[in-house]
Amino acid sequence: MPPRLALALAILALMIGGVIYVVKQGQLPPADFTFNNDTEVESLDPAVVTGQPEGRIIDELYEGLVRLGPKDREPIPGVAERWDISDDGLTYTFHLRHDAKWSDGSPVTAQDMVYSMRRFLDPLTYAEYAYQAWYLKNGRRYSRAARGVEPGDKVEVELLEQPEGALPFARGEVLRGELVRVDTDEGVDQETLDDPASFVDHRTFVVSIDGEERLFRVGDKVPAGAPDGAEPARQVLLDFSEVGFRAIDDYTVETVLESPTPYWLNLLGFYPLAPVNQTCVETHGPGQWTEVENIVTNGPFKLEFHRIRDRIRLRKNEHYWNRENVALETIDALAVQALTTSFNLFETGKVDWITKVTPLIARELFEADPPRPDFNPDAQFGTYFYAFNTSRKPFDDIRVRQALALALDRDEIVTTACAGELPALSMTPPGLPDYEAPECEPTNVQRARELLAEAGYPDGTGFPKIEILYNYEQQHQTIAELIRKQWRRNLGIDVATRNEEWGSYLSSQRQQKYDVVRRAWIGDYLDPNSMLDLWVTDGENNSTGWSSAEYDRLIQDAKAEPDAEKRLEMLAAAERILMEEVPILPIYYYVSRSMLKPYVYGWYNNLEDRHPLWPLSIRRDAPGPSDFMASKPVREITLKPRSTESAAP
Amino acid sequence: MTSFLLRRLGWMLITLWVVFTVSFFLMRSVPGGPYDTERALEPEIEANIKKKYRLDLPLTEQYYYNLGETLSGDLGVSMKKDYTTNRLVREALPVSAALGLLALALAFSIGLVAGVVSAVFRGTFADFALMSVATVGIALPNFVVAGFAIILFVFTLHWLPAAGWGSLDQLVLPALCLGAPYAAYVARIARTGMLDVLGQDHIRTARAKGVSPFSVVAKHALPTALLPVVSFLGPAVAGILTGSPVIEQIFAIPGLGWHFVQAAVDKDYPIAMGLVLLYTTLLYTMNLIVDLLYGVLDPRVEWK
Repeated sequence: MPPRLALALAILALMIGGVIYVVKQGQLPPADFTFNNDTEVESLDPAVVTGQPEGRIIDELYEGLVRLGPKDREPIPGVAERWDISDDGLTYTFHLRHDAKWSDGSPVTAQDMVYSMRRFLDPLTYAEYAYQAWYLKNGRRYSRAARGVEPGDKVEVELLEQPEGALPFARGEVLRGELVRVDTDEGVDQETLDDPASFVDHRTFVVSIDGEERLFRVGDKVPAGAPDGAEPARQVLLDFSEVGFRAIDDYTVETVLESPTPYWLNLLGFYPLAPVNQTCVETHGPGQWTEVENIVTNGPFKLEFHRIRDRIRLRKNEHYWNRENVALETIDALAVQALTTSFNLFETGKVDWITKVTPLIARELFEADPPRPDFNPDAQFGTYFYAFNTSRKPFDDIRVRQALALALDRDEIVTTACAGELPALSMTPPGLPDYEAPECEPTNVQRARELLAEAGYPDGTGFPKIEILYNYEQQHQTIAELIRKQWRRNLGIDVATRNEEWGSYLSSQRQQKYDVVRRAWIGDYLDPNSMLDLWVTDGENNSTGWSSAEYDRLIQDAKAEPDAEKRLEMLAAAERILMEEVPILPIYYYVSRSMLKPYVYGWYNNLEDRHPLWPLSIRRDAPGPSDFMASKPVREITLKPRSTESAAP
Repeated sequence: MTSFLLRRLGWMLITLWVVFTVSFFLMRSVPGGPYDTERALEPEIEANIKKKYRLDLPLTEQYYYNLGETLSGDLGVSMKKDYTTNRLVREALPVSAALGLLALALAFSIGLVAGVVSAVFRGTFADFALMSVATVGIALPNFVVAGFAIILFVFTLHWLPAAGWGSLDQLVLPALCLGAPYAAYVARIARTGMLDVLGQDHIRTARAKGVSPFSVVAKHALPTALLPVVSFLGPAVAGILTGSPVIEQIFAIPGLGWHFVQAAVDKDYPIAMGLVLLYTTLLYTMNLIVDLLYGVLDPRVEWK
C-alpha cells in the first residue's frame, strides 16, 4: 500500500499545485477604473466591428480626425486640430496636429488617414459599417468594387501578386488605368449575370493601362470560358483618387462629400472610421495584428493585455498628444455577460460602471428609498417597434394597419413589461434639438373598430388569423403576449405568436416570411435620417414591402438640401407620411440604464448612450453629485407600479 | 496491455472522425450562418466573406478541406472573434480544469465520506439525513444552489467575493456549486457499492478474525466499493474539465463552458467543432483511464 499511497499523494499535490498555479496566473492588481463591457469583443480592428462593446474599447485605443465629447457628443479636435468647411457644405479640410503619434512613437500623418479610409471602403476588408463612409464622393462606388465601375472610369486593378518588397500582408500590386469596356461571357443567361454574388464570375474587364489594353478576370485563376490573354486579378475597383478623401500634404486631409451632410463630423468621430497603422496591419495580417504583442494604436490608451472572456486591460498611452488631460492610468473592461452577475460585482464594489441592469432590478432601483446615488436612467436614441408585412393581406390595407395601431395600449406595455421606457408614437425618438417628430395617433379603440369595419372586417369577422414573430427573449415574449391580448380584446381578431432563434428570425424578417415582426433600431448618429432612411423603397433594412414615392423623394431631397432648417422640415414631412401609413408601429423608446459609482467624474448621460473613458477621473473625496447624477434626465421618467395583469376577456 | 492501449487509441480516432463528420453536417444543416446580422450586408462584402471562409464551396469540398486542417492540428480561426480555437483552448481549458479539479476533489471527498458513513450506519438517522441531502443535491440545478450561496455568503455574511477570477477565494463558491450535484451522486453510488460489499463473505471473514471495524471498512471493503464511483468519475471528469456554462456565467469565470454554448448560438463553426472534438477526446481518455484504474483496484480485472 505505501507506494500506491505515495503515488496518490503525489498526484494530489500535483493537482493542488496546478490549481494554485493557474489561479496565480489570473491574479492582478486592480485597475484605476473597472467597468463591465458586457461581452467578449469580436475584434479590436475598428473597421470590421459593429457592436457597442467593441466601440467602447476602440474609442480609447484609437483616435480619428475628430472625436466626440462626453457630454453632448459634439465633435471636438482629435488628430485634426482644426478644420474648414466650404460654403456649400461639401468640402472639409482637416489640419492635422503635428504631435499626434502612434503608440510606437511614429507620427500620425495624412497618409495614415488615407490608407485607413481606403482599407475601410475596400470590400475585401469586410467592413460592415462601410456605408458610414459612403457620404464621401464615390465612396459607395469604391465599396461596390466591380459593380461600381463603368466604361470610361478611372479604375485600379489589384493583382494577385504583391509588388516587390511589400510587407507580407500588403495588398496586391495595383495597376491604374481606364476601363474601356466590360465583356460578358457568351451563353450566360441574364439572371446569372445580374446576380450580385456572381457578378464578376462571367465578366472580363478591359482596362487601358499606359495606352495598352489588357484583359482582367476577377478571381484566383482565369476560368476556361474566358477570352485569350485574360489575366487574373484580385479585384477591379474605381480608382481611389476618384473618392473624396485625399491627403493634400503630410498634415492636411480633404474630404469631399456627395451631398451636404450636417452630421459628417459626428460620423468621422464614430469608431469604425478610426485610423489603423499600415505597417502593423500589413506586417501581421488580419486577426494577428490586433494581438497584444503586435497592435499599434494612436488613442489615449493602449492595449496592455487581453484575456479571452475575462478582461481587457488598457494603459495610458505615453505617446498620446493630450496625455496631460487623461487622468486614469489603467482601465479594466470585463466581459461579464450575465446581467445579475454584473450587478453583483457592482454592488460588491468590484466594478465602477455597469452599462445596464435587468428590468427587474431596474424596477427595484427606481423605487429605492433613499434614492440611489448611482442610478440615473435617461432617454436613448432608439425605438422598439413592430413592423407589418405590407405585401401580405390584410396588411396591404392602410386602414387595417391604422386600426391595429390605434388598438394598441402602450401604457399597459411599458408599465408591465418595461422598466422606465417611454411609450413611443414616432420612429425618431425625442430629444434631438430642432426636430419635433410627427407622431402617429394615440390609442383610440372606437376609431380602430370603425376603421376595421371600413376595411371589411366589422368586429373582426372575416379577419384572417395573424401571427406576431419575435426572436426569443423574455421581454419580447411578454410584449408579444400583451399585444396579442390587446388586439384580441379591442378588435376581436385572432392573433398568434411565434418565436424563432436569432438567425432564423433574421432570415424570416429579410425574406418577409411574417405577418407582424418585432424589431428595434438604435440610431447610428443623432439625426432623424438615421431612423428614417431605413424605410425607403427596397431599402436594405426595410423588409416590410412598404413603399411610398413621396417618402422616397423627401428622404432623397433632404440629403441634398444644404439648408439645415429646410432639411429637417423635409424629414419631418417624411416621418409624417410614415406615421400616417404606419407600416411600422412604434411601441417604446429605449432608455439607458447605466449604474455608476458616485466617485466617478467626467461621465455624462447622453442620447447616444456612448461614454468615452478618457475624460474620466476618480474623485473619492469630492462632495458630489457627480456629473452623471447632476445631469437632469432629458425628460422625467416615471414608472408606474406594476399593474395587476388586466384580465383578458 | 500495449495492444489493449493501441486498440483503444485506434477506436478513439474512429470515434473522433465520426463525431467530426456528424457535427460538420449537423452544424451546416441549421438555417442561417455565422454572418447573420440585424443589418443586411452588401452583396460584395457577403460574397467576399463567404469566399474567405470557403462557405461558397460545395459542402463536400468544405468537409474535406476542414478535415485536412483538423488533421494537421489546426482547429481554425473563429468566424466571429479575433482568436483561434487553439488559443481559446490554451487560455480557457486551464481555467475550467482548475475549477473542475477543485470541484471534483470536493465532490469526491464529501460524497465518499457521506456514502460510506450512510452505508455503515444503514437505516439510522445519519443515513436518512445524508441521503435526503444527496437527493436534494441531485434534484436542485446548480444555478439555484449558486443563487442561494451568493445571497448567503456574499450579501449576508460578506465572506466571499461575488464573482470573478484571479484569487483562491473567488474559486470557493463556484467550486462548491459546481461540485454539489457530483458530491450527491458520488454519495449515492458509494453507499450502494459499500452496501454490496459489506454483505460479502470476505468482509465476514475479516470481521471474524477480529479486524477493527474501521480497518474492515477502509482496507477490505472500500477498494471494491470504489469501483462504481470510479466508473462514474470518468465521464464526470471529462464533463467538469470542459466547464459548466451556467456556473461560469454566474461567477464570471473565463472557462470553456460558455464557449460551447455561445459557439453554437453564433454558428461559429470552427470553435464549435474544436470544442466538440476536445470534449470527445477528453471523454474517451477519461474512460480509458477508468478502465485502467479498474485493473489497479480490482485484481480480477485483466486488460485484454
